[in-house]
Amino acid sequence: MSWIKEGELNIIERISANVLKAGPMPKHVAFIMDGNRRFAHINNMERQDGHTQGFNKLAETLRWCKHLNIPEVTVYAFSIENFKRTQEEVDGLMDLARQKFERLLEERENLEKHGVCIRVLGDLNLLPLDLQQAIAKAVLATKNHNKCFLNVCFAYTSRYEMTNAVRELAWGVEQGLIRSSDVSETLITECLYSNKSPNPDLLIRTSGEVRLSDFLLWQTSHSCLVFQSVLWPEYSFWNLCEAILQYQLNHKSIQKARELHREHQASLQLEADRLCTAEELQHHGNGKPTDAHTRQEALLHYITCREERVQNFLTALKHKRDLFFHDLCIEATTA
Amino acid sequence: MVMLYGLLWRLLLLLVHVNRALVSWLRVRLQSWKSRLWERAMASLLLPLALAGFPEQQKNPRLRYISDGMSLQKLPVHIGFLVTEEEPSYTDIANLVVWCMAVGISYISVYDNHDIFQKNHSRLLKEIERQQRHLMGGDGHPYNVEFLSNGSDKCHNGKKKSKVTLLQPLRRTLMTIPDPELVVKFGPVDSTLGFLPWHIRLTEFIFVPSHRDVSYKDLLGALKLYSSCQQRVGQ
Repeated sequence: MSWIKEGELNIIERISANVLKAGPMPKHVAFIMDGNRRFAHINNMERQDGHTQGFNKLAETLRWCKHLNIPEVTVYAFSIENFKRTQEEVDGLMDLARQKFERLLEERENLEKHGVCIRVLGDLNLLPLDLQQAIAKAVLATKNHNKCFLNVCFAYTSRYEMTNAVRELAWGVEQGLIRSSDVSETLITECLYSNKSPNPDLLIRTSGEVRLSDFLLWQTSHSCLVFQSVLWPEYSFWNLCEAILQYQLNHKSIQKARELHREHQASLQLEADRLCTAEELQHHGNGKPTDAHTRQEALLHYITCREERVQNFLTALKHKRDLFFHDLCIEATTA
Repeated sequence: MVMLYGLLWRLLLLLVHVNRALVSWLRVRLQSWKSRLWERAMASLLLPLALAGFPEQQKNPRLRYISDGMSLQKLPVHIGFLVTEEEPSYTDIANLVVWCMAVGISYISVYDNHDIFQKNHSRLLKEIERQQRHLMGGDGHPYNVEFLSNGSDKCHNGKKKSKVTLLQPLRRTLMTIPDPELVVKFGPVDSTLGFLPWHIRLTEFIFVPSHRDVSYKDLLGALKLYSSCQQRVGQ
C-alpha cells in the first residue's frame, strides 16, 4: 500500500475544508496513532493486520492534510518502549517498516512530484542494519523536497531526544565550538532531532488515552492538545476537522502564551549576554569604570560573536548527522 | 466565495460557543436540582439532614478524607494543578491543596504560565493555612507544608508531610521529587503552557472546566478517574 493516497475530497468534505480554512490553520500537526491493537482485537484480526490498517490510515490522513494545506505532519510510529513488546510483534513491526520504506523508494517519482520530504527521528542505531539503510536511502532521496514534510518518529522517545541534544551540546563545548554559557533553551531546541521543523501547532492522540507517552514533550509545550476517543484505524476526515476546530478555538490564547514565553526567553538571553559582557569587561578591562556606550558596544560585539559560534556549531552538528545517513547508504551499496 | 466561507466559519465558531455555554449551564442546573431533590427526600422521610450523613465523619472530617483516599485503587504520589485561567483564585487553590494533603497525596505542584502563584507564594501559603483551619474543623494537628519556590526561598513548618511546589517554566530541576502521575488542568486552554516538559512523559491529564468554586467532589471525581486508568508503558 502506497504512502500517498491519491484522490480528491467529496463535495461535502471540500466545503467543510474551505470553511475551516477561513480560520487559522495549523502548519504542523503531530499524531500519536494509538489504537491499532484494540482495533484488531475488536475486529477479530491479527495484531499485525491492525498495524497494517494503521499505516493505511496514515496514508489517508496525509491526503487529507494535503487538501487542508497542512504542510508538515509528525507521527509517533514506534517508541523505544515498544521494544518491550513480544519479539513476534516487534519483528512484525520491523517487517512492516522495511516494506514501507522500500516501497517509498519505489515511489520516488511520485514523492518528487508532490515535493514530499521524509525525515526519520529517533535512535536509529537500535534498529536492524538493513532497516537503518532503507531509512537512510529514503531520507537522502527526499532531502531536498520542500512542499510538504513527514517526520516519522521511529525508535524514539522524547527523553532520549532531549538527552541526546544535551550530549551534542556537551560535545560542542568539548570541541571548543561553543561555550557552556551559550547553552540556552533556544539552543537545546536547535539540537533536537526535530530542529528543521517548527514546533507542532496541534497534537492529536487517538484511542482515548490522555497522556503524552514521551512524545515531543519539549516541542509541544505550547501546542494545542486534542485527545480523541476514536481508534486510529477508524480515524475519519471529520475527526481531523473536529481537532482542527479545537485548535482554532484555542488559537488566540495559545498564541498569547507563546508570545509571552518568547519574550521571556528573549529577556533571559539578554540578561545572560549582559552578565557575560560584564565579566569579559572586568577581565580585560584596566580597572577603570566603563561608560554606558562602551558597555553597549561590548554587548553588541559579544552577541555577534556568540551568534557566530552557535551558527558554526549547528553547521558542524548538521554535517555530523548528514554523514551518519551518507555512511549508511555507502555501506548499503558496498554490501 | 471566500467571504461566504469566512462567514460560515464565524457561524460555526458561534454555534460551538453556544453549545458549550448551554452544556455548562445545564450541568450547573442539574447539580443544583440533584442536591435539592436529596434535601426534599430527606425532609419527606422526616430525617434531619445531619443524620443522613455519617455522624462520626461529620465530627471528624479527616477520617472521611482518609477513607476516600484509601478507597481508591491508586492515588498519585505527585499531583499537578495547571491553571490556564487568567485570574487565579487563591482560596480555591488552597482548598485543593488541603484536600490533597487530607486524602494522602505527598507532592502537589501548582502552575500558571503568568507565574502569578510564583510571585505571590506567601499569599498562597497564608490562604492554605487559613483553609486548613476552616476545612479541618479546627482539629488540633495541622498538616505540615514545605514550600518549594524556585529554590531561593523555602518555608519550613516543622516536619515534612506534604510539599507544595510553585513552578516557573523549565527553571526548576526537581531531582528528588517523583514525576507527577496526574495533572488536573483548569480552564479553557487545551495546552500544557510549558508545564514541566521533561516530567510529564507518562502523566495522565484530566480536564476540569474551572478552578473557581471547585468542590471536593470535583477533585475526588478526578482522582477516581485517574485510579481507573491503565498504563501499558509501551507494551
